[in-house]
Amino acid sequence: MISRHQRIVFWILVVCILGMGALLFYERERDRKRVQALGDATPLDAPTASTEAVTLYLASDQDGSIAAASRQIALPTEITARARALLDHLNAEYALDGSAHPLQSGAMVDDVFLLPLPIVGHTLDARTSSDSSGTSTSLVSTDDANTLQPQTVGGELAVINLRGSFVNQHPSGVEVESLTLLSIVGTLHANIPQIEQIKFLVDGQPRETLAGHADLLRTYPSRDTSTAAAAVPAN
Amino acid sequence: MLEKDVTLALAFKLKSLLQARGLTVQLTRDNDTPMEPNSPANPLTLDDRAGAANHSRAAACLLLHATGAGTGVHLYTSELDAAAGEPAVQPWLTAQAAWVPQSQKLEKQLATALTRARIPLVTSAASVRPVDSLTCPALVIELAPSDSDDPGTINDSSYQQHVAEAIATSLVFWQGQVQAPVKLGAPAASGALSTSGTGDAGVTP
Repeated sequence: MISRHQRIVFWILVVCILGMGALLFYERERDRKRVQALGDATPLDAPTASTEAVTLYLASDQDGSIAAASRQIALPTEITARARALLDHLNAEYALDGSAHPLQSGAMVDDVFLLPLPIVGHTLDARTSSDSSGTSTSLVSTDDANTLQPQTVGGELAVINLRGSFVNQHPSGVEVESLTLLSIVGTLHANIPQIEQIKFLVDGQPRETLAGHADLLRTYPSRDTSTAAAAVPAN
Repeated sequence: MLEKDVTLALAFKLKSLLQARGLTVQLTRDNDTPMEPNSPANPLTLDDRAGAANHSRAAACLLLHATGAGTGVHLYTSELDAAAGEPAVQPWLTAQAAWVPQSQKLEKQLATALTRARIPLVTSAASVRPVDSLTCPALVIELAPSDSDDPGTINDSSYQQHVAEAIATSLVFWQGQVQAPVKLGAPAASGALSTSGTGDAGVTP
């Protein structure tokens, strides 16, 4: 025979257990919502409200040409976000069906960094020889003047950190790789004039080539690339 | 279809045609060795290839590539700005600068021959290692399919032979025209690198 006070204790314990269970469930749900909120990839820097005309330099594999094309696009006002958005729009054009320079869809660029020229202290060229201490950078020498000096006051070096996924899926070939780089260079030149020189990284690291051919270690001057390629059709 | 197989096939065809015309040809690869640049399995790096081509004092250095994109043949010279002459000490990464005018002349000559052969052509400048380190008239030759809708046509032996014949014909005329750039800081030197009729054509597949 169970005494009355034992039954009371038993039911109190049952209520406590259910209460603890409910509390744990509530806390778990709250934490899950908090973690989901942290992992939300929605961009915080929303584009400006109005669209604007930008010039994209679009490549064609058929004749090796690059032609300027105007598009109405909403872009962020912050300059590096603007450069990144421009390049992602460029890649989106190439990912469309029937593109003359077909590339995989997806984001092209992880980050864009702008460094004011001249670069004082060390070169960013990964091919420079290591010094005795084993560091891979070297002091800027006078013959680097064309590479690291600004052409105008306020000129900047853009470091484009390409996504590994974009580079690894890029078609291989001298023409197709060169056209991608010239398209990037021309588009940045047309829309962000303070960029005078451009260097490329892949996932934050220097890489020799884009997909086995076009040199990614050199510094590219920002210029109008629309007339860089000339086609001679067969008669 | 691998690029290394297509370029090797084209290189052999070109070599045969050039040798039949009395030119000496030096290949930097004549078998199916690993092609990963700077890998331990492949002792010849891109810089090694440029060094070998430079030491051969070739009348023309051709870097052969292949792609499934586009159509016909793509010719590229170095993107370097042309220099007035060859300095006594040449920076490795810009050694081609003094030779850019000669390379452009060679490109024009090959373009004419390929156009006459009715081969679709794209000419441009590109930054492809190790072309900037070559001290000879240097061209990147990229073979693309003859039919843009069928990438498999790049393996067509008769198409490759047709392209090789156009290039070989042009190089025979080129061997007597090549001029070494002026040496800067030294007495002017001029004249053909090879006038004996056995000019070297460094072919880099």
